[in-house]
Amino acid sequence: MVMKVSKNKVAVSILAGIVLVLFFATVAGLFFYREMIKDLGTAQEEDFTEYPRLYAYIAEDPDSQLSSRIYKEISEYAVENNCYVEMTGQNLSTSYSKADRMNIAISSKVDGIILEGDDSAETAELINKATANGIPVVTVLSDCQASARKSFVGLNNFSLGSEYGAELAAIGDLNKRYPLNALILLDRDDGNADDIIHAAIQQAVTGRLIRLNSAVVDTSTPFTSEESVMNILDGLETIPDVIICLNDRTTESAIQCIVEKNLVGKTTILGYYDSDTILKAIDRGSVYATFAIETKTVAKQCVNALNEYHDTGFVSDYFSSNYVLINRSNITEYQTEEKEDGI
Amino acid sequence: MAFKSRFFANMKISRKLVAVFLATSLIAMGVNLFIYINLNMALEKINSVFSSNISLNELSDNLNQIHSGLTGYLETKGTDDLELYYSSTQTMEELMKDLNSTVTNNSVKLSERDIRNMLETYLKTADEAIQAKRGRNIDEYTAKYNECTKIRDYLNTYIYSVNNEQFKTNSNNYNALVNSLRYTEIMSLLIFAVASVMNVLLIVILTNTITRPLTRLSAKADEISQGSPENVEPLQVYSDDEVGKVTKAFNEMLASIKDYIARIRTQLITQSEMKEKNLLMETHLKDAQLKYLQSQINPHFLFNTLNAGAQLAMMEGADRTVEYIRNMADFFRYNVKKNSESVKLSEEIELVDSYIYILNVRFAGDILFEKEIDESLLGVMVPSMIIQPLVENSIKYGIKDVEPGEGKITLSVYREGDNCCIRVSDNGIGTDEDIIEKIMSNEKKPSETRGVGITNVMERLDLHYNNREVFEIKSKKNEGTQVTIKIPLEAGNV
Repeated sequence: MVMKVSKNKVAVSILAGIVLVLFFATVAGLFFYREMIKDLGTAQEEDFTEYPRLYAYIAEDPDSQLSSRIYKEISEYAVENNCYVEMTGQNLSTSYSKADRMNIAISSKVDGIILEGDDSAETAELINKATANGIPVVTVLSDCQASARKSFVGLNNFSLGSEYGAELAAIGDLNKRYPLNALILLDRDDGNADDIIHAAIQQAVTGRLIRLNSAVVDTSTPFTSEESVMNILDGLETIPDVIICLNDRTTESAIQCIVEKNLVGKTTILGYYDSDTILKAIDRGSVYATFAIETKTVAKQCVNALNEYHDTGFVSDYFSSNYVLINRSNITEYQTEEKEDGI
Repeated sequence: MAFKSRFFANMKISRKLVAVFLATSLIAMGVNLFIYINLNMALEKINSVFSSNISLNELSDNLNQIHSGLTGYLETKGTDDLELYYSSTQTMEELMKDLNSTVTNNSVKLSERDIRNMLETYLKTADEAIQAKRGRNIDEYTAKYNECTKIRDYLNTYIYSVNNEQFKTNSNNYNALVNSLRYTEIMSLLIFAVASVMNVLLIVILTNTITRPLTRLSAKADEISQGSPENVEPLQVYSDDEVGKVTKAFNEMLASIKDYIARIRTQLITQSEMKEKNLLMETHLKDAQLKYLQSQINPHFLFNTLNAGAQLAMMEGADRTVEYIRNMADFFRYNVKKNSESVKLSEEIELVDSYIYILNVRFAGDILFEKEIDESLLGVMVPSMIIQPLVENSIKYGIKDVEPGEGKITLSVYREGDNCCIRVSDNGIGTDEDIIEKIMSNEKKPSETRGVGITNVMERLDLHYNNREVFEIKSKKNEGTQVTIKIPLEAGNV
């Protein structure tokens, strides 16, 4: 009997223990449940940082790799220097023209504009309008000299042209094939800048047996570039020994065309920019050499120029950027450096 | 806790049951309510997910209204259009307050800032256009209007894009919320399951506390019904409820059953002892009678023939013979008649008288018999056949060797305190001390006493008077033996 009672007591105690555990489990579950409900939706709210200044970056072609890279560099440097740069017109449902993007930047009252300039009157007018609205404009890569822009950050096109000429001469010396036929692919939108380069190349190869021709590539829409290059090459009676490209898009289009037309080895390219495609092409031999702008320096100079203007009211008229020549001899070294920089 | 459990134990069973069901129902209800409230909160959150899209749409609608007001006013200078323009502008200014105005690295927030600033530019330009209209400066208001149209176009694109962007984010949020809600559903189901198991266990425990005493009670009842209630321990009372009261009553009942059984047992023992005593007495009496009859041989026949002898002697005129035969007949009749237990003392004395007479005739008056009788004691009831064997004993062993005519036997009946004393004394040779001791300690066998012995008388007296010392033998060598029976004079024995 005693055994029975004690057994019963043990069973009841165990049950009571389980009930206690379950009770705590229920209470803990309810608290956890409440926390779950509270957390609903809060996870989606991102943290964001506020900045005192907003600059607009307006590229000639926002989709080009160079512009994307410059924008990336500018954004990073700007954030480090307590300001924010937006690529105006990006992520919109409509693709706006450069003029529209300028207008948007002006009407949205940004604190400064970094603009890939050109020599058109419309651009000059818009720069003036921005200046009139108290928005300083800094041009980058290509200038708009006729405007009230505060500063220009970019390459010296003439010295770039001279470098192209020197490389052209080197190809001639290497191939010992004279006369050397070269074709310069000019960008229809780049206008004056390309002309200066063209002139500098011409000047550099004067006195050598190098025949220099030029053709204008239509880069007005993202798809026309490659077609345009193909048309130009198709229209030629003889394939040039060297194709000189003055921007990233024409360089990549030209690479694509000579691969497609099976011209690797018969012609070579002097390109511009250092995209993966172009670097690979150097490795494979379809591109002899390419000129790359030091985007990091450019980005720094742009942000610094605007900040300096805001802080002091004055800024230098011109910041000169450097370019790098990449060919088979230094491509590995260059790629290693780029990786180290995290680009 | 102990107080609580005691409090619970002392509750009435109906209240206990109500408490159990109330407690478990309250737990279930509480859990339900908690989950319901929190689920409602979650649903409200889900409902608010798309509110940013709604406000952006309002913004766009309002902008278009302003623009149509502006267009209308610039076209016709209509007051309705102007009114529409102003009212929409006012609404817009209110709506604009909700838009972010700071520069951030959040694309949506940044777009909001752009929209806000563009709206400000738009409103400013539109205002300038209206001023120019009032100043009738056609070129200016046309230029301003065109600029407004452009900005409106940008704004619509921005609002549309942000709307899209937000819709994407909101949809993601919505999906995330719905997914989380699924987790919460599983969680709530788990909680329900745990709470239900807990409730079931709680009911088991609490009903067990209610039914356990009943089970113990029924087990005890079973034990008792199996037939040995004196070995059953009383139950411990844990509670003051109905079961507790029943248990107390049960314990009392158990105690009284035990008591009753004990009393009956004592009674039975007493009764059986009594029965045994009676049987023993009867056995001794029968034994005495048998021995008497054996020694006297068919007294009926004897005293009938004796009566016939007496009548014959009477007819022949022999008076002494008649007397002798009558005495003999009386002597034998007594034995036939007095087979019952108690007789009057006078009858016992008469028997002794007849016996002495017969003996004196036989031994020619050699035995001297004296009586000292307190007449008031003649009615005392005594066991039958107690004096004659003593007298016979005195004759046989006391005075048998005394000279003829010298032997004397005295029967005294007197009162001593509350006793009636019957003493038979002789002047014979006396009895040895060790024989007296043997007789008194009941060691002497009846065969040694010859005939109806003194031992038989003693045992019967013992039985009759519950071992009271009523029998006494005193003797001195050559001075005779004196045997005394002390009959207690109790109520009704006088």
